This record gives sequence, structure tokens and C-alpha cells, in this order.
Amino acid sequence: MIPSDHFTRFYNEVFKFLEDQGEEHLEAYWLEISKNQEKHTLELFKEKGLKGMYEYWDHIRIEENCDMDLKLDDEKLELRMNVCPSLSKVLDNDAEPMKRYCDHCAGWIGPLIDKVDHHLVYDVIDRKKPQCVVKIFKDKEKAIEEEKNAKLLMKWPGKK
Amino acid sequence: MNKNNLDQKLRYNDAGNVHMDFHGATNTTIEFIINKYGIETMNDIFKKVGNDVYKDIKDHIKKGNIKMLAKHWQHFFDRENADYNISINDEEIILTVNRCSAYEHVRKLVGNVSPNFCDQTIKTNEALAENTPYEIKTEILGEAACRQTIRKRA
Repeated sequence: MIPSDHFTRFYNEVFKFLEDQGEEHLEAYWLEISKNQEKHTLELFKEKGLKGMYEYWDHIRIEENCDMDLKLDDEKLELRMNVCPSLSKVLDNDAEPMKRYCDHCAGWIGPLIDKVDHHLVYDVIDRKKPQCVVKIFKDKEKAIEEEKNAKLLMKWPGKK
Repeated sequence: MNKNNLDQKLRYNDAGNVHMDFHGATNTTIEFIINKYGIETMNDIFKKVGNDVYKDIKDHIKKGNIKMLAKHWQHFFDRENADYNISINDEEIILTVNRCSAYEHVRKLVGNVSPNFCDQTIKTNEALAENTPYEIKTEILGEAACRQTIRKRA
């Protein structure tokens, strides 16, 4: 068994293999993970919108030991990841970290948020640091406006 | 042997909550990679996990210290609340998993577990032992049950 605690280091090995095959291979995998995540998020997000997303990431915050602040208002959900346990483990690793490890997160979250008609702004800030800011808006124009403030804006399959 | 009587520091010593759903993502990944690239590619990735991610444990095995692997097994099977027994001595360690919590969690989560789910254990173990004086044999005893034995090569 690869312990669940070490999944991200396994994930990192998978990403390195797929990156060598080409960008479309990585994207196909992110979409597969996104589809897998739909099983326990899609209905919740459709039914409760931003409140459902808050519930999901609040559960993740606890279960994955994230140092993360979550803020919900009528217009948006904001996740401020102060210390990301996923990238932290990949960096604390005897195997080489994939340089674009952070990209997978927008890679699976983006298509899911698109499906529920909300608008994701994913600022990774710096791929070498385990921190990021994720904002999910109801209103597309507000999301487009917010993109201007991002330091390192992430894309995903379907948003180039 | 007392389970806690292994006074060696693990390279990856996780604490806090456990996110068992990652095993579901492992199952999805195994299916995805095998369907798209074949089983040899999946095995090569597990080999990298054994050789590179677990380099520290492998280095200990090379030097004849197999108890670090025992500590690793105990630490993570305890964290995941698996039902297992372990017998440890200087020459041989036998880990018997009566109920693998990873396998059971995936079965609960998605219904059908990949027939190659246990390859993560078999192939990672093989890589850990490769080019060391030891071999690790993984026997599947049934659904969610296995025996993993590390001992000196004959």
C-alpha cells in the first residue's frame, strides 16, 4: 500500500511521466481526476452553489491538515492556502518534484467549477511556494476583473 | 516484538488527520494509466516510487537494516487503522494484513476496486528490494488481505 499520506508523492511521479508524453496527456489525466471528484462534489456544488463549495473545502481543510483560510460571502468563495500540505510533501521528497506540480489543482477544479456555472480565478503566486489563493465567483465579469490581480494565474482544460 | 520498540526516525513521519479518499484517486490513476499506456508503464511508475520516493528505506535495506521498513509499515498501517500483525527479527519481517483499509475504502467509495490495485504494493516492494541483499515477497491472500515478507535472498 502506498499510504494515503504519500499519495501526493505518487501523484508527482505520475505527473512527471505524463509531462514527458506531452501537455495533452497531462490534461487528459486532470480531466479524469476531475471526473472522479465529481462523484462527491458535483451534486453538492449544483445544489448549494458557493455554500456547498465552502462545505467541501472546509472538510478538506480539516482532513488534509491544510493551513487554509476560507471566506464565504454572497458573491464569492475565497480560499487562502497559507501552507499547502500537498506541495509541501512533494518538496520534502527524496524524488525530484515536478516543476509544475501546482497546475494539477486548477486542472481538476477548473472543469468542475465550469460545469456548475461558476467562475474560478486560481492564483498560484509562485510554483515553488506551498501557498495559493483561489476565488470562485458567481459572476463572470467579477472573475475577469479579479484575474488582473493574480500574480501567477492558472489555466485548465477548457480555459486557455 | 513490541510494536513500538523501533527507535529509528522515519524519513516521512506523517501526523494529523488521514485523508483516505486519496486511495480512490490512486485507484482511478491505476485504471487510467493501464488503459492508456499499459501495465508496464504503471509498473515503471511504481518502481520509481520504490526507488526514488522511498530511497531512504531502500538505503537502510541495502545496509542490512530492515527494521526501518517494519517501522514504516507499522506507522502507516496504524494511521490507516488496518488490521494487521507483524513479526520482526533481524533476519526477517513478516507483515500479515488481515484487512487492508485502503482496499476496503476504495471498495466503499467506488464499488469496484481495480484488479491491479495491489500492484502498488507488489511492485513498490520489488523496487525497494532490487539491488539489495534482500527480497520482498508479496502474497495476495484474498480480497483486502496479503502477506509481505522481507528476508535475505537465498
